[in-house]
Amino acid sequence: MISIVVVSHSRALAEAAVALAGEMITGDERPRVAVAAGLDESTFGTNAAAVAEAITEVDTPDGVLVLLDLGSAILSAEMALEFVEPDVAGRVRLSSAPLVEGLVAAVVLASTGADLDAVTEEAESGLAAKRFHLGSAATVSETGADGTPDAPADEDSAVAAAATAEVTVSNAHGLHARPAAKVVALVRGFDAHVTLTNLDTGRGPVNAGSLSAVATLNARSGNRLRVEASGDQADEAVHALEELAARGFDDQPAAGSAAPRSERAAGSGLDLAMGPALVRKTDVDTSAYQTAEPETESRRSREAVATVRSRLHDLERRTSEESGAQAGAIFTAQVQLLDDPDITGPVDAEIAAGISAVEAWSRQLDEVAARFEGLADAYQRERAADVRSVRAALLRALTGKPDEDPDATGAPVILVVDELDAATAASIDATAVAGVVTVARGTTGHGVIVAASRGIPLLTGVGDDAAGVRTGQVVAFDARTDAFLPEVSEADQRRFADLVAERSRERIEVVEAARGPALTGDGHRVPVLANVASLADADSARANGAEGSGLVRTEVLFGDRAEAPTVEEQTETFLALAKAMGGAPLTIRTWDVGGDKPLPFLPMPREANPFLGARGIRAFRRQPRLLYDQLTAICRAARETPIRVMFPMVSNAGEVATAVAQLRHAAAIDAVLVSGERSTGFYASAETGSQAAAEAGSAVPEGLDVGIMVEVPAAALTIETLAEGLDFVSVGTNDLTQYTMAADRGNDAVAELADPLSPAVLRLIDRVCRRAPDGVEVAVCGDLASQPRAVPLLLGLGVRELSCTPPKVPDVKAAVRGTDLADARALAAEVLTAGEPAEIRELL
Amino acid sequence: MSTVDVSSVSGWLRSYAEAISEHAAELTELDAAIGDADHGTNMNRGMQAVVAAIDGGDFADVAALLKKAGLTMVSTVGGASGPLYGTFLLRLGGALDGASDITAEKFGAALRAGVEGVVARGKAELGDKTMYDAWVPALDAYDAAVASGADLPAALQAAAAAAARGRDETTAMVARKGRASYLGERSAGHQDPGATSTTLLLESAAAALS
Repeated sequence: MISIVVVSHSRALAEAAVALAGEMITGDERPRVAVAAGLDESTFGTNAAAVAEAITEVDTPDGVLVLLDLGSAILSAEMALEFVEPDVAGRVRLSSAPLVEGLVAAVVLASTGADLDAVTEEAESGLAAKRFHLGSAATVSETGADGTPDAPADEDSAVAAAATAEVTVSNAHGLHARPAAKVVALVRGFDAHVTLTNLDTGRGPVNAGSLSAVATLNARSGNRLRVEASGDQADEAVHALEELAARGFDDQPAAGSAAPRSERAAGSGLDLAMGPALVRKTDVDTSAYQTAEPETESRRSREAVATVRSRLHDLERRTSEESGAQAGAIFTAQVQLLDDPDITGPVDAEIAAGISAVEAWSRQLDEVAARFEGLADAYQRERAADVRSVRAALLRALTGKPDEDPDATGAPVILVVDELDAATAASIDATAVAGVVTVARGTTGHGVIVAASRGIPLLTGVGDDAAGVRTGQVVAFDARTDAFLPEVSEADQRRFADLVAERSRERIEVVEAARGPALTGDGHRVPVLANVASLADADSARANGAEGSGLVRTEVLFGDRAEAPTVEEQTETFLALAKAMGGAPLTIRTWDVGGDKPLPFLPMPREANPFLGARGIRAFRRQPRLLYDQLTAICRAARETPIRVMFPMVSNAGEVATAVAQLRHAAAIDAVLVSGERSTGFYASAETGSQAAAEAGSAVPEGLDVGIMVEVPAAALTIETLAEGLDFVSVGTNDLTQYTMAADRGNDAVAELADPLSPAVLRLIDRVCRRAPDGVEVAVCGDLASQPRAVPLLLGLGVRELSCTPPKVPDVKAAVRGTDLADARALAAEVLTAGEPAEIRELL
Repeated sequence: MSTVDVSSVSGWLRSYAEAISEHAAELTELDAAIGDADHGTNMNRGMQAVVAAIDGGDFADVAALLKKAGLTMVSTVGGASGPLYGTFLLRLGGALDGASDITAEKFGAALRAGVEGVVARGKAELGDKTMYDAWVPALDAYDAAVASGADLPAALQAAAAAAARGRDETTAMVARKGRASYLGERSAGHQDPGATSTTLLLESAAAALS
């Protein structure tokens, strides 16, 4: 017969539990039970030595089952196994069963002479009876353990045959919010109550239909989950969940994402437009709506939600294809509103109470919108527009008024809206809509961003003039002069047509001029690139003729995420940027966090002096995972488009070596994953990857150039060794100035010291250009590169590539064209002897 | 010239006991914020017992002393820090068993063996808001210092300073281990008590083993 050991923080608790279990046995045959609990009679605590003693005391050849309470009890019991003889340890089982229920079940079964496996299983299903009785979940599996008393099947009970399954979390980042949302969505689709239990952490069971509950499972990659379902569709729900789990909860790019992307016409890219107005009110006319019985209203509500959901999914897909996953995510967030129990709960309750679906949804979403509007954070306020957009879409679906998508056969219209929500901006057919006018202000909303990225002319905040416009009335606007014509005379029409033609020509000329290469007067080509932090920047950069990006600010690109973007999302976003820039090279700077740039998904310690703290690459010494993920995404993108990778805030050669080693490691592991399984994250495959890295010779992908930023005087002063083996360095003049002059340009008291034209800063740039190893190109991506006046000086010092803000590209190219390299060198030599920034400005 | 011998290691453990006693209230307060408010009390009980064991014992070598201290922690602390610190001291002692002339390198390797034991026991990962978040930077700093020619006291000072930074970083983290993990996001904003007592251990080492 097996023996049992009870480990608890409290001796009184353990002894009482043993007494309780003992009452279940009537015969003389009973297992030996030892207690290792408390530090003494009254002090809570556990003691590994005492557990080992207890095990040794009751040890039998049949084995020992150890039941424990929580926390240190588990650690102490595990440690005790190291203290007892190995052969004894081999027949000891530590049980995850609930202490009291497990002990009772174990004592009863052990007394029958059952073996260790059977008793362990029985103890671990010790909660089944209680759960069954309380109706929280049906848990008695159909193939219940031997000796399990069959739960009485109450034929009148709502609890039908239970279905269970065990699934493994296989996606790299575990069951975080997005895959959890997929689980919740799936489960809600069935008439079943489904629970999940994390078998590895013991968390659960939790309601699989509640996002917050699923999130509490803390299910990481590799964890096993138990799925349990009751209700009419229990089997179907469990089966569907098994399939979803087998697909890694769809937490990867869809299989079809590599398929050719649908091409849609872009907008004119101009800043003016004219045409008949199409007025679309956010407020939907619901006066004709006939309220029906609650059952009918409830059905209408469900149907409307389904219609809107499918439309939003469609927009999400199209927008993701065109503008990247980040833009598509706007619609994911909108879909979540339809599923939020805090909203759907009250809506359903109101409908059940006899309120119409129209009124119930209006009221709830108005409240949510009002809550968002009351928030201090501008980003959160923008969410109110998303809520109103969903509200309008639902009401249109409920009242049977379809979205009046303009008809592509007539003359292109001017869409007049109260505010431009992202759904509208994304769904506009640019061949049917010449431009968009909004009544309300707001130039930073999601809709504006989407419209701008699509080149659709837009005028915001027109106010009353636009509010009075009726559909069909011809209107015109010119965003350049902020002019809106609510009525257009024939003379106006001719004038406007001329203006449109003139602007089109102008734009072509500007773009053509900007698109051409920038050659100095004496024929040296200088690439002029743009600094970008969004798809909109990339569009603007390309339109302005940038020959690529000399700085992609990844911490801004993904900075609005609550969770770290996955490798797949990052890869997709980089490829979308490259596509927006016409396939020109991208210089991706790895996460530049710290200082003034926190990331929501990278908690940073409070530092007394963050600008001298764990900024840039330094932030990842302790938490390398985020950096590895990013480097993996960079390697993947680099296989499809020209990419350079750049490490920020390096100050010694060791940091460069470490960063390059991390890059090689990421590249090697990814190279292995490409051919095999992709879903495993870096860490999961680090071991096989290390071998692979050794075998693959630790190379970075073909064509991936590697460089560093020079932002710290130490980097400039040791550039000979720092840049050894690299392809390029890029000077960040803002930080280099701050760190050289020990002055914060945001601090009015010392801002004048933080002048990039200070002799000290220029001498450092000069040094970098002269002493960088052969073959290492020197670029400038800081503010100084956006100052056309400084261009001759930078070229004279030896800078060979400039990256500026997108709108400055044409001006910077013009400055390059106006420079002779020989003159520039003489200028630089003279500047280097000057004493004061004022003197230097004089020379420029 | 610094030496690691029975006398200096006894001094280390005594000074750690003093530090724990001095900071017991603070440790318990930290634990009260995110755990079960017993870390200071438990550690103090354990370290007082260690001091008593040192007073009453006669140890042939450092390994014997550390093993005794580890076992004492295991059986007297009561909370999770008992098996964790106990494991650390046992493995540290085990790694130094039979070692003569304990150099900075040897001591560093032994520290790492101790911490590996802690990881095996607690299954913590970096960023879980545990003592491991203080140990990792401490070991790295120690090894880096030794590699650049530092002697034992200097390496321990570097380790203690790095542990303190690691400890500070736990404030922002969300706990994924121990009682604090039940609090989820709410555990952020509080410094981890285990990382705090680990820092004290290294600070005591830096002071005593010089």
